[in-house]
Amino acid sequence: MGRIQLHGITRSFAGTEVIHGVDLAVEDGELVVFVGPSGCGKSTLLRLIAGLDRPTTGRVEIDGRDVTRVSAADRGLAMVFQSYALYPHMTVRQNLSFGLENTRMPKAEIAARVDEAARMLEIGELLSRRPTQLSGGQRQRVAIGRAIVREPLAFLLDEPLSNLDAELRVSMRAELAALHDRLGTTMIYVTHDQVEAMTLADRIVVLRAGRVEQVDTPLGLFNRPGNLFVAGFIGAPNMNLFRTRAEGGVAELPGGLKVDARGAGEVTVGIRPQHLHLADGGEAALEGTVRLVEALGTETVVHAAAADGTALVTVLPGQAAVRPGETIRLAPDRAALHLFDADGRRME
Amino acid sequence: MNRLTFLLARRGRTGAGRGWHWTDVVTWVWLIGGTVLMFGPALWLVSSSLKGPAQLAEFPPTLLPYVQETAQVEGYDAPLPLYRATAEDGETRVLAEIRRVGTNAQMIDPAAPDERLNVNIADREPLRRLGIAADNYVAPLVANDFLRYLWNSVFVTVMATLITLVTNSMAAFALSKYRFRGRDAVMLLIVATLMVPLSVILVPLYSVVNATGLLGSLWGVILPTVATPTGVFLLRQYMLTIPDELLEAARMDHASEWQIYWRIVLPLAAPALAVLAIFSVVWRWNDFLWPLIVLSRRETYTLQVGLNTYAGELNVQWHYILAMTVVTMIPVVLVFVFLQRFITTGIAGAGIK
Repeated sequence: MGRIQLHGITRSFAGTEVIHGVDLAVEDGELVVFVGPSGCGKSTLLRLIAGLDRPTTGRVEIDGRDVTRVSAADRGLAMVFQSYALYPHMTVRQNLSFGLENTRMPKAEIAARVDEAARMLEIGELLSRRPTQLSGGQRQRVAIGRAIVREPLAFLLDEPLSNLDAELRVSMRAELAALHDRLGTTMIYVTHDQVEAMTLADRIVVLRAGRVEQVDTPLGLFNRPGNLFVAGFIGAPNMNLFRTRAEGGVAELPGGLKVDARGAGEVTVGIRPQHLHLADGGEAALEGTVRLVEALGTETVVHAAAADGTALVTVLPGQAAVRPGETIRLAPDRAALHLFDADGRRME
Repeated sequence: MNRLTFLLARRGRTGAGRGWHWTDVVTWVWLIGGTVLMFGPALWLVSSSLKGPAQLAEFPPTLLPYVQETAQVEGYDAPLPLYRATAEDGETRVLAEIRRVGTNAQMIDPAAPDERLNVNIADREPLRRLGIAADNYVAPLVANDFLRYLWNSVFVTVMATLITLVTNSMAAFALSKYRFRGRDAVMLLIVATLMVPLSVILVPLYSVVNATGLLGSLWGVILPTVATPTGVFLLRQYMLTIPDELLEAARMDHASEWQIYWRIVLPLAAPALAVLAIFSVVWRWNDFLWPLIVLSRRETYTLQVGLNTYAGELNVQWHYILAMTVVTMIPVVLVFVFLQRFITTGIAGAGIK
């Protein structure tokens, strides 16, 4: 079991509150990703769960047991650090077995667990080497191995892939997903990379400035962002956001395009770049001058600006014949519009 | 061969290793000069320690140690020193000296011991060969208890260094890795004691050692020296560079605080510990004033205090002092030879990034 619950967690450093009352439940076997811009408190929150830091107020529960005052070692969790934090003076085998030796586990069982983890992570040949003699990817595996041998209730991973090059990151990401499937253990994964979050997570927790902005499945976040911050943060390229006024159930976008908007007053209309297409002749559309074209082969990212300077970004399928300086007309997929009220909250 | 070419490499006129560029000349002069300056006194000490007392007093001094040739002459119990005497007619003979009276020496020919000759000391020269005065070493070590002093010095140095390393690293660990109220104040206080020289605290320290009954024992020399501000500062600065994540990883790995200190921090601080060990060995080995004050019986003397006994008010036994100085130098040199490489190797941080 590995059900982790946070109740009203706050944390202050020298009088400055950095975590403002977080309530969260991570179900057993779930892979939950904490994502947010740097400084949003995601790593702090992870350290509070790990027990490396204590909350100022609030409770941490693991499987219903209050562990707020329990030491890091006795919470039954294992952590993979961003810098791997391998002990440089020990061999890989010693690194893996250090935690088990400290619990006075019989030598034979330690050896069995280490060998099993080494086999699983394919680091069998590296067991007698020291961390300095390993490549970044190998160190990453050892760091994960050190967590696995503990057979923890949950894994806590603090930006584990951020020190790897792009190619390795993609393959390690897939391996981590496979590992989670095989072990079925709860994982909490911290990252600032939304692609990692979207591809790995069962559920994503979006954090900003010490507050939980939204908790949902990756597609739930993408399709129904709860507020402007989540809308802007999830999805690449970023969502086009138009601040405008709604009157009589209609809001007007730059260029005169009218869209349905319930209520009245200030609203923000959000359109994902993927939900804009080149308009047919008579179709009502947004008009803009192309500034930059990024041809990626399978798709083309077009950056344009409306007459009033509002940025328009669209992703066109295939290799669209668009050149900078041209004027394009873009029509939105009206079913996929997002509407936010004056406070930035999603309007249904 | 390659090493030789490397050693003899010169910049040369064209940079290809031909001819002497002025920088080559300066480099060689500078390096040779430096070598002579550094090694000269030490070599001079070693060579002088092998000379007898008479040769030490000689002027001009000789570079190498010599011993006087002697001959066993019939009718005399002790071997007689041999001299090369020049007679008035310019003929030189090898003669043995019986005794000296004023500026004249009574000499005999070892081959014809019956005939006594009077020779002016200006007309003769000692007959000598290259050799060493081993007695300089043997006498103090065997007869004068210097082995005992040596053992005392080794004991003081080893114990003081071990205790210094353990206590200072504990203090440094706490001061670098734990957050507690007054931590910086404590650190400041420790570093501030660097400004207080031994001579200032000599009297109170004496009172303390006296009150604790350690006066006259080697522990009285060891214990007051083990808490060094330099050591705490040096180790703390080094431990600050050990990433906290390593300690947190160990904490997650069920390590107790003692295990974190003993199994993670100490091994990673090895380069700094080696530096402090070298310092501590040299300090304790060379300590003179404090042991001189604490130790009053000959059996407890350390080498440095023991050396002092050869410098009397009226008579300084240079040959013994020089020989025993060489003996005292050996361990310090060995420490440098074997621990030096530790200074340059840093192993912490290697597992990070």
